[in-house]
Amino acid sequence: MTNAAMRRAQLEALVEAQGGCRATPPLLLPADPYFDLAGEEFGRRLLLTADLTGAEHCLRPEFTLPIVRDYIADGTRQPAAFTYLGPIFRQRETGPAEFDQAGIELLAQTNGEVALDQVFTFARAALSIYGLPTRIRLGGVGLFEALLVQADMPAAWRPRIRHRFGHTEAMERLLARLEAAPDAPRQEQPARDVLIEDVTARMVSSGLSLSEGRTPEEIADRYLEQQALDAAHVPAQTLKLLRDYLAISGDVLSALRQIEALAESHKLMLGAPIRAIRRHLDKLGEAQVSFDAGFSPRLDYYTGIVFEMTGRNGAVLASGGQYDRLLERLGATAPIAASGCALWVDRLEAEVSA
Amino acid sequence: MTGITLAVPSKGRLEELTREWFAARGLTISRPGGARSYLGVMEGEPDVTVRFFPASEIARELIRGNIDIGVTGRDLIHETSETGPDSVHFARPLEFGHADVVIAVPEAWIDVTHLHDLADVASDFRSRHKRWLRIATKYITITRQHFARAGIAEYRIVESLGATEAAPASGVADIVVDITSTGSTLAANGLRVLDDGVMLKSEANLIVSRTADWPGEKKKKLNSLLTQLAAEPL
Repeated sequence: MTNAAMRRAQLEALVEAQGGCRATPPLLLPADPYFDLAGEEFGRRLLLTADLTGAEHCLRPEFTLPIVRDYIADGTRQPAAFTYLGPIFRQRETGPAEFDQAGIELLAQTNGEVALDQVFTFARAALSIYGLPTRIRLGGVGLFEALLVQADMPAAWRPRIRHRFGHTEAMERLLARLEAAPDAPRQEQPARDVLIEDVTARMVSSGLSLSEGRTPEEIADRYLEQQALDAAHVPAQTLKLLRDYLAISGDVLSALRQIEALAESHKLMLGAPIRAIRRHLDKLGEAQVSFDAGFSPRLDYYTGIVFEMTGRNGAVLASGGQYDRLLERLGATAPIAASGCALWVDRLEAEVSA
Repeated sequence: MTGITLAVPSKGRLEELTREWFAARGLTISRPGGARSYLGVMEGEPDVTVRFFPASEIARELIRGNIDIGVTGRDLIHETSETGPDSVHFARPLEFGHADVVIAVPEAWIDVTHLHDLADVASDFRSRHKRWLRIATKYITITRQHFARAGIAEYRIVESLGATEAAPASGVADIVVDITSTGSTLAANGLRVLDDGVMLKSEANLIVSRTADWPGEKKKKLNSLLTQLAAEPL
């Protein structure tokens, strides 16, 4: 047995040893749920094909979605653990479009923090099969959401800022815009019903349906809200808080201390999410852990803590975290805790041979 | 092989303007077999083979390196492949075929004037309407790249191969990404270009394939031709 084959066999054994159900979703999956969940940005990575009816299918681009959909369809709501190891297919700039991914999904566990610990343990065990040191980059989705809720600003700005979390450039543009907001005297607002009438007339004259897409009421309301927002400034102090917070990056302990100091000076209660991160650190022991305040996947179903394990040159070897909003997004009728991670098997092997 | 293949748009105004442009610089392209022939010659340049192609195929073949130089729109290079612009050398703009790839919304959307407004609308569109914001376009690659840079992920593309500007009225899509030279077709259909909605300014370009083979002798010939055309050498 070559060394690579041995490592592969050990990875198989690790995946089998998690006490969960080994999931083997089909290779050919309907494409729509992926577009629905992750939009065009992920959609461009899919390998698509169509059947005779014109329905679009894709080659399995990852495992989480089919596993979670099957779980919801079962309707059990019982705690469940799934593991997987097999080929996935994505368009990539370099490297073949078919490559292996392994991973774990822990659903509806009674303690989401214990579940995340199990995910960390699984990922670290995989890295150690390949003889790699654990370098973890943590992100705090829950921490940022807690900060945002308490930061002083007009409520309507919060979803706009939250929406840009994890996209450094978009966030930068928004903050710059807010900082530059001129102190324009507030103009007289047209009445809501006059606006609605005006918008309705415009829609009718260009042949737009008044009900299929955005409605005249929705447009008028957002117009008024926008005018109000332009007048309702985010205080300069809050903008500075956001900038200072998002700039925090580095060794986890000193990063958390900086965040605590920031919370103290702005009178924010961030104790609970910070403690949650610290608890996991105790379990991570020897690993080299950094925290990056601005780090988050660009998918709104992530919650709590997210992470990446990286190799030399920053290649992502494992990524995952907590995503308690995912099951609801996929049709579950109540919130269900979820956490897990995916391992990039080809990159793990590449780290060894490099 | 030191012969150079030049691809020229095979029909319409674009063909005419391209041939006029070369003729004005002393290089006459003729089509001995008439409009049905796909082979042409450049008078006095026996090393240059002229082939007539549809403009979108010229973009694709330049990127793949199957033809050496060609005339086509910048938009088609960007659209054909994400790596398109890196696979070619834009030797010079030809000062015709001007058009912009733009984002246009219904004129009734009085609250949406900039991309950041669109980002707001897209982000809660799904929860309001139980579906994604739909964008009709034939410029799928350009749209995805531009929207990704703008941080907008919550939308679906509806591929539209003609009459894109009619998509909002027919209910196929909410907004469009389309090409326009004056904006009048969009306006006539009740659409308004966002203030920062120009994604790409395009015009016809003389384009060199970087992926084609360029052995020394052939490259020398290319560069002397480009110099004659006041274009930037490879």
